[in-house]
Amino acid sequence: MADTYPQSSGAGADFDLSQFYQIFFEEAGENLDQMERMLLNLDLDAANDEELNGIFRCAHSIKGGAATFGFSDVAELTHHMESLLDKLRRHELRLIAPMVDALLESADASRSLLARHQAGGQGEAPSTHDLVRSISELVSGAVPAIPAPVVEQPQPAPAPGPAAVAPALPTAAAGGQRALEIHIGPLDQPALADAIKELFRDIPGLGQIEDLPDERAGMRRFAVQTVSSDEDLLDLFAFHVAKEQVAIHGAAVAAPADQAAITPAEQYGFFAGAPGVPVDEVAAAALAVTGAPVASAVKPAQARAPAESRQGTQASMESSTIRVAVNKVDQLINLVGELVITQAMLAQNSRGLDAGLHQQLLAGLADLDRNTRDLQESVMSIRMIPMSTVFNRFPRMLRDLAGKLGKKVDFVTHGEATELDKSLVEKITDPLTHLVRNSLDHGIEAPEARLAVGKPEHGTLTLSASHQGGSIAIEVRDDGKGMSREKILKKARERGLDVHDAMPDGEVWQLIFAPGFSTADVVTDVSGRGVGMDVVKRNISALGGSVEIDSAEGYGMRVSVRLPLTLAIMDGMSVGVGEEVYILPLSSVVESFQVNADDLNTVAQGSQLVKVRGDYMPVVALERIFQVPRTTDAQGPGNNIMVVVEADGSRVAVLVDELLGQHQVVVKNLETNYRKVPNVSGATILGDGTVALILDTGALVRRARH
Amino acid sequence: MQSILAVDDSPSMRKMVSFTLTSAGYHVVEAVDGQDALEKAEAHAVDLVLADQNMPRLDGIGLTRKLREHPRYKSTPILILTTESSDQMKQAGRAAGATGWLVKPFDPVRLIEVIQKVIR
Repeated sequence: MADTYPQSSGAGADFDLSQFYQIFFEEAGENLDQMERMLLNLDLDAANDEELNGIFRCAHSIKGGAATFGFSDVAELTHHMESLLDKLRRHELRLIAPMVDALLESADASRSLLARHQAGGQGEAPSTHDLVRSISELVSGAVPAIPAPVVEQPQPAPAPGPAAVAPALPTAAAGGQRALEIHIGPLDQPALADAIKELFRDIPGLGQIEDLPDERAGMRRFAVQTVSSDEDLLDLFAFHVAKEQVAIHGAAVAAPADQAAITPAEQYGFFAGAPGVPVDEVAAAALAVTGAPVASAVKPAQARAPAESRQGTQASMESSTIRVAVNKVDQLINLVGELVITQAMLAQNSRGLDAGLHQQLLAGLADLDRNTRDLQESVMSIRMIPMSTVFNRFPRMLRDLAGKLGKKVDFVTHGEATELDKSLVEKITDPLTHLVRNSLDHGIEAPEARLAVGKPEHGTLTLSASHQGGSIAIEVRDDGKGMSREKILKKARERGLDVHDAMPDGEVWQLIFAPGFSTADVVTDVSGRGVGMDVVKRNISALGGSVEIDSAEGYGMRVSVRLPLTLAIMDGMSVGVGEEVYILPLSSVVESFQVNADDLNTVAQGSQLVKVRGDYMPVVALERIFQVPRTTDAQGPGNNIMVVVEADGSRVAVLVDELLGQHQVVVKNLETNYRKVPNVSGATILGDGTVALILDTGALVRRARH
Repeated sequence: MQSILAVDDSPSMRKMVSFTLTSAGYHVVEAVDGQDALEKAEAHAVDLVLADQNMPRLDGIGLTRKLREHPRYKSTPILILTTESSDQMKQAGRAAGATGWLVKPFDPVRLIEVIQKVIR
């Protein structure tokens, strides 16, 4: 089906519907998500009316919007979904697994169609022919084991007529309206021909169709009024019945009077005698008016607010949520960040003031401090979205994957309402998907294997999220076969990694994050947990997070991910080197201490090592990396302050002049504001207005290692 | 300026209707479903109600029935927006006290045309 965009639709020139496309795309996406979720939760044997109605309503909403905004292919597909769902909710058909499959596939197809429209209609439209056919068969009950007879039932469908959408109508044959007689059959399931009737209801402007009696077995006869050519009709019907089964017999060209059959009156109507009915309308329709007062009689007399203030009222009367462009929120966050900095500057500059002389000023500054913090918290919360947006994608993925692998799994989620910064949610989705996939693919055993070791046939995969202090903890847990300590150690030795038998479990599990640890033989031996785990770890570290693993062979495995709540603010430790101040992310700071010159050893190429509790650790001298001379008095003996930072599982000692303190910093992106600087992850503005660089501990560790 | 209560659970349909009516010089109050519409109708006197038929919580037919029980809305025009122009729907609409129906999808121009027939 070709696309129709409102430019070519019947909408008046004053109404450019394209301004509503984006809202529609988002809304349709949400409806599809919801539909998918509800379909996955459906219990085939005990689907209740409420669930079926909910799913129906999703399809119905998408269809209505798609038809209104001119996305006829989406409207057609969702119309068929709706027909099937309507029969289900009316208990005319019994719910069976193929229906859920077809509906899920159709939801996917609708998504692709919508994505194509969203991209401006570029590229080939995916074919929905087979889907439509299989849904039609399901609707007509042409599936074995469903005895339900097909009752002819009025289907919800848009009436014909020149509506806002004129979807890809076959070009009108010369001569305009034609009256035809169409014979369809012989069909095994004559009810299949009902789909043809629906086409006429579904496609505005196609024309009208009426049943004619037909005594022949398997045959159906219709009277049709249309402007479309025979060829176009056959093409359209081919969705449902083979061309050979359709015979079109031309009747006399309809008189102009017949065209009145498709009048605007079909598009709307008034009930005679109903409250508020316009008198002349009803009179024109020659219907009895039984004293219905007209609208003007009840016009409220109150004074109305002027137009400008009405805008405000209207906004306040909106629903309880609003949609705002992300860049507006980001701008707000940015401004609040600036405010936080200004506030910190004021606080710093007022520190020396006499409390007695400037009592009011200081009280005001204290208020400002509190309000700024509250404001910052509120603004940050705008960007927070619930984890359910990530969790919701898994039931479908697991259903498909479990089907493919022949495994059985129950998916359990906890804490879907836990909120996380939008940008983090987007970035954590891929690593989480990887972990969940791995759990099912390599953790949970096949049903026979589970039964053989006395486990229930269905494995359980649990995904949970919770707030823990300033971070969020996400856990992927399965009751599969877990990992084998011995096998990992063996593999590590083969790869020449430094391991020993007395290593604590935690360190052994961490080995699977080593780059390249995942090789084909590990996949079979160690349940393949290594596949891409180094990438998962790296992605999570890049977000300022950490990953921990716990496993019990034979019982299952747990992967815990900890992430900061937001990337816009972080807890930092400020350190001084010479005249400069640098920020170290507090999450990667392990400890700090003073070292004696004796504990420092210089090795090849001038790199230094420091001895900490008997172990040697590489030293990173910021003065060399950033070429900032240290102050002379800081260089004296005993003045070597080291801050140990950890990243990617390794530790380095950062040599600094002084420790200045710990505080929250507003992270400014250097790449967008300046350019990428090696060893630096961002910048922030300090209380005194100076800029401090935030160090990229991962880069520092890598630098020291190589 | 006359006031219209536009009730639809679909944000895009609601925005489209609201934009169309606002452009035609009406004041529009939006509601996300029948229940919300009842509250809005209580808080603001409206001259016409345009309600989608199929909505969660309270559908268009249910909303019509409830509004007719309200002294202020005994004879206010209520139009039901529907994709089903079946007799069954019409009977339900008539029984609930609706003024008329308008089939979706509709052309913005048609919408204004129908509204102007009912409120002038």
